[in-house]
Amino acid sequence: MKTSQLLFALALLVSNVQAATIEMTVNGLVCGFCAQGIEKTLRKNPATADVLVSLENRLVAVATKEGADIPDADLRKALTDAGYDVKAIERTQRSMADVRATLKGKK
Amino acid sequence: MSIHSGRLAVSMALVAAAACESAAAKPIAFADGTTVMAEYGAGTMTEIQAFYAPTFRYSLGGGHLSLNSAENGDTRDITYLRLNYLPKRWNFESAQANVFVWGGLGRAHIGETGDNQLTWNAGGQLDYETRRVYASLRTDYYDASAFSHRIDTLQLGIAPYPHDYETLAVWFVIQAREYTGELFDGTEWAALVRLFKHNAWLEAGATLDGEVQAMLMFNF
Repeated sequence: MKTSQLLFALALLVSNVQAATIEMTVNGLVCGFCAQGIEKTLRKNPATADVLVSLENRLVAVATKEGADIPDADLRKALTDAGYDVKAIERTQRSMADVRATLKGKK
Repeated sequence: MSIHSGRLAVSMALVAAAACESAAAKPIAFADGTTVMAEYGAGTMTEIQAFYAPTFRYSLGGGHLSLNSAENGDTRDITYLRLNYLPKRWNFESAQANVFVWGGLGRAHIGETGDNQLTWNAGGQLDYETRRVYASLRTDYYDASAFSHRIDTLQLGIAPYPHDYETLAVWFVIQAREYTGELFDGTEWAALVRLFKHNAWLEAGATLDGEVQAMLMFNF
């Protein structure tokens, strides 16, 4: 029983570390130039595989490379240094394709 | 000079009190970003600028401004270096507001005398924007021993639909501009269409006198 609990905890930990997508709710996203600056900043991070910015949903999503992660503190600093306010950071198992499909479905 | 400062303060205060919304060309686009801009202002002013922003707080660069008086034909060609600074930004849920200030030094060529003089300039911009509405007030002051000019520009814009990063942004803009120092008598009104997508911005329209007003800007 203890072994199974330990394995479950380890699996949970690994899944969190290898989260497919980091989704951030950001205030101040109103124009394409905002999105351009944020995308440029986040793509400089070596752990970044893809970036998506949705003004409509106040969303900045970052897909990380396999086995890589970007700490919350680094994400907050990157967005703050770009001139925006991060309100929430969520790590999800959705792929970037899923995020794009969801956003497209909302329109 | 004190009169000019007073008018500037009053103008800024009025817009601060009245500003509802805004989305404007900004002297600082984003951190590690370069902005190049060219504006043709109905024959009275023509300006080109290039700025690099190490952070979102400030940018450095220069420009060239040609002023041609609609009243007496006087001309000024001003080449300047400038520092732009963003002292305050408000990030709201679905809006953003900014206060920009700038100052610089340069050389002015006075057309009617042929003299070249040291000139300084200072200015500021207050803007507020959502994805559907925007307003901005901008003021630029240029001073040399032979002249002083101030250019105040108020823009109000509305977008027919809320744009996103991957879609073309369209704005319909009404602009009011006033010049001091015998450059233009009264308020120059213009109706403009603004388009931007990704790093390119194009704005074009006409004044009530039928003069062309246009601006092109790139951020990268």
